[in-house]
Amino acid sequence: MSGSSTPKSLPTSGQQSLHDIKHPLSCSPSAEDDAAGENGAVIIESPSPDLPNTEPSSLADKDLSLPNGTPADTSSPASSSSLLNRLQLDDDLDGETRDLFVTVDDPKKHVCTMETYITYRVSTKTTRTEFDLPEYSIRRRYQDFDWLRNKLEETQPTHFIPPLPEKFVVKGVVDRFSEEFVETRRKALDKFLKRIADHPVLSFNEHFNVFLTAKDLNSHKKQGITLLSKMGESVRYVTSGYKLRNRPVEFATITDYLDTFQLKLGTIDRIAQRIIKEEVEYLMELREYGPVYSTWSGLERELNEPLEGVSACVGNCSTALEELTEDMSEDFLPVIREYMLYSESMKTVLKKRDQVQAEYEAKAEAAALKREERSTVPTDVEKCQDKVECFNADLKADMDRWQNNKRQDFRQLLMGMADKNIQYYEKCLTAWESIIPLLQDKQEPK
Amino acid sequence: MSADREREMFQSGDPEGESGEESEGPAPGRIGEMSDENCLLKKLEISVSEAEKRSGKNAVSMQETYTAYLIETRALDGQSELQNSPLDSLWRRYSEFELLRNYLCVSYPYVVVPPLPEKRAEFVWHKLSADNMDPDFVERRRIGLENFLLRVASHPALSHDDVFHAFLNQESGWKELLNEAGLQLKADSRLKSLNATFRVKNPDKRFTELKHYSDELQSVISHLLRVRARVADRLYGVYKVHGNYGRVFSEWSAIEREMGDGLQSAGAEYASLYSMMILVEEEHYSGIKPEQQYLFYAEALRAVCRKHELMQYDLEMSALDLQSKKQQCEELATGTVRTFSLKGMTSKLFGQETPEQREAKMKLLEEQIEEGEEQLKSHNVESREFVRDAWQEVERFKEQKNRDLKEALISYAVMQISMCKKGIQVWSNAKECFSKM
Repeated sequence: MSGSSTPKSLPTSGQQSLHDIKHPLSCSPSAEDDAAGENGAVIIESPSPDLPNTEPSSLADKDLSLPNGTPADTSSPASSSSLLNRLQLDDDLDGETRDLFVTVDDPKKHVCTMETYITYRVSTKTTRTEFDLPEYSIRRRYQDFDWLRNKLEETQPTHFIPPLPEKFVVKGVVDRFSEEFVETRRKALDKFLKRIADHPVLSFNEHFNVFLTAKDLNSHKKQGITLLSKMGESVRYVTSGYKLRNRPVEFATITDYLDTFQLKLGTIDRIAQRIIKEEVEYLMELREYGPVYSTWSGLERELNEPLEGVSACVGNCSTALEELTEDMSEDFLPVIREYMLYSESMKTVLKKRDQVQAEYEAKAEAAALKREERSTVPTDVEKCQDKVECFNADLKADMDRWQNNKRQDFRQLLMGMADKNIQYYEKCLTAWESIIPLLQDKQEPK
Repeated sequence: MSADREREMFQSGDPEGESGEESEGPAPGRIGEMSDENCLLKKLEISVSEAEKRSGKNAVSMQETYTAYLIETRALDGQSELQNSPLDSLWRRYSEFELLRNYLCVSYPYVVVPPLPEKRAEFVWHKLSADNMDPDFVERRRIGLENFLLRVASHPALSHDDVFHAFLNQESGWKELLNEAGLQLKADSRLKSLNATFRVKNPDKRFTELKHYSDELQSVISHLLRVRARVADRLYGVYKVHGNYGRVFSEWSAIEREMGDGLQSAGAEYASLYSMMILVEEEHYSGIKPEQQYLFYAEALRAVCRKHELMQYDLEMSALDLQSKKQQCEELATGTVRTFSLKGMTSKLFGQETPEQREAKMKLLEEQIEEGEEQLKSHNVESREFVRDAWQEVERFKEQKNRDLKEALISYAVMQISMCKKGIQVWSNAKECFSKM
């Protein structure tokens, strides 16, 4: 890879600066890697106005990682990002100001001596200056997407990362290389990248850039093996039974909401699956039903035509039903599943937020005890507080975005489902109406 | 067994006039005319209006429960032949209907006697109980019995039957009349064992085909009804599960702000309209289906074919008998034994018979031959008449069947159309709700 993610020109827009601002909570391992590789070197060179991710911030400040900033500084990226979110939302509606388009298509099967796998073509078109070229086209396999998602979770811990399709098929009977499976997965991967590309923060993540552009992703993957549990410290506070004192009602509500939402989606998923099952069984009976009329028509000279008509009509209805069932399992179910996975990963992020808050509260408490001796609040506590505030601001912005996306997605999904069903009934209606004249014409002469 | 004789015995009308009409030979329009002018239904309104559960003691003093059906008749004009009837309503039970039908089958062998509703629930939709005392079953049977009476009453020959009239309006005298007719029934006890196939040498091709047709008709209709019941079951399942969306959408709506109203109203749409579709389906499948009647009609058709076979068998047997007697006679006359037979053996062993003996034997044989020829002739006439009547009857049946089945298909298609329209309505309303989200 030839310095793919290096912004060559001066950043001019607000988004640009956001890209460069390493989020205070982001983990540093990536920064270290970057610093080591040529990538990082370029970043350092880049004339970004507020260059936060330089070496000093890495090891020592791993968990606190607030780069020598003042509270004023930290609050600004958060608020600007949430403002930007709102702007971005509005942009999404007209879809004109989008400057990054990603599609996943053309799955190919690779058979090697060791393994068999599928790669997908990931095509990018962009006007963003971080990209050297306006267009990219590379091939990625599922585990590359998985790598990207892990990297995003690592470097953007305060954001809701869109979910990937399940790694393993739930009911192991499905053939991993079947056309339907690959197509369903392709759609889900496409959705995953599109969601990231449309996100005001995530789309500027350098790993995302690498993922979209690098010819050889493996060299990048090897660099990031430093597996450090970022939240290791915070987890301590939670697991030791620490109870949050002032857990904002807002986040408690979101968690409750997600629980119920997930539950309801689960029910819808089950209902939809049962409908598909019932419809498939209904289809099987219809397939037997139509030909019976055909057989009968062979017996009846005078009723031959109408009976054949009924048989053909039942045939048409079964074809329409088959299409409907396919649409349901290929278009409807995956969206429901995506949102179920989404909620699950969102809940994880919310838990992390609680951990960060717990860390802050614990430190603040400890500081409060000492305050009598030392009259100043230690910077350590301040940093933690900033961290919590940043986290909260990011989450709120993401939640708003997510709610809006969800509303649109479901509106589209449910209307689509309604349309498919209307089409199905219309096809059946036409079929049945067509046989009425067949029956009536014959009756009149009598 | 002659159909004409039958009619003389049981028809209320003037026997002379009947036979005169018969002697004119095949009259293609006869049945049609009769059904138009003399049809009982023109003079009498018949209905099975009620069903009632009863219990009583049966023939062997066992307590039993049964359902009785109220038959109501009302004369449509003053000159009805049933004018003097003391009752215009009476109760009959299913077994009495069965007796009547058996009687009609035997008395009018060439007639495709309308079938009774099923004895036990068959091919019914899972939602309906198969219990004979179940109100739904009783109701369907009530409609079926009424259909049976109406069909008999509109039949050109059956509608003039005395026993049938008595069945409609004589509470007590009916059974006696039936028993008198029972003498005739006994003569036809062979019909009961009709399941055994007679080896007919020269079967009438048309009847063989008809028999074949009724076999196939029966198998295709029973297959159809079976599959249709399963189709209905599955469809019911599909609707039922869709109804669940109603509940989950309204539950989900509780936690949504902007989407809430849309989900809530869409949920309500599903719940109410799918339950409506289920009702429509239930209504449709609980009714009596003409296809089902024709399942039993197939049996009635086959009965006619079997009766023809039996008749043909009788005819062939008497022809065979006559032939062998003629041969014996010839043998006696010429003294030659053309075929190796036991008779030939005995005559060789015991010597020639005396001329007197031979004379007496010849005489007896000649008498028998004469008798046999007479019998053969009557069998032939009987058979011809049977074929003629039966064929007219079959044509009549076919016409009725085509009409009925077309109607059935139309009503089935109409039901499907209304279901499709309901489906479109449900989803259009739901879409409207979703679009507001």
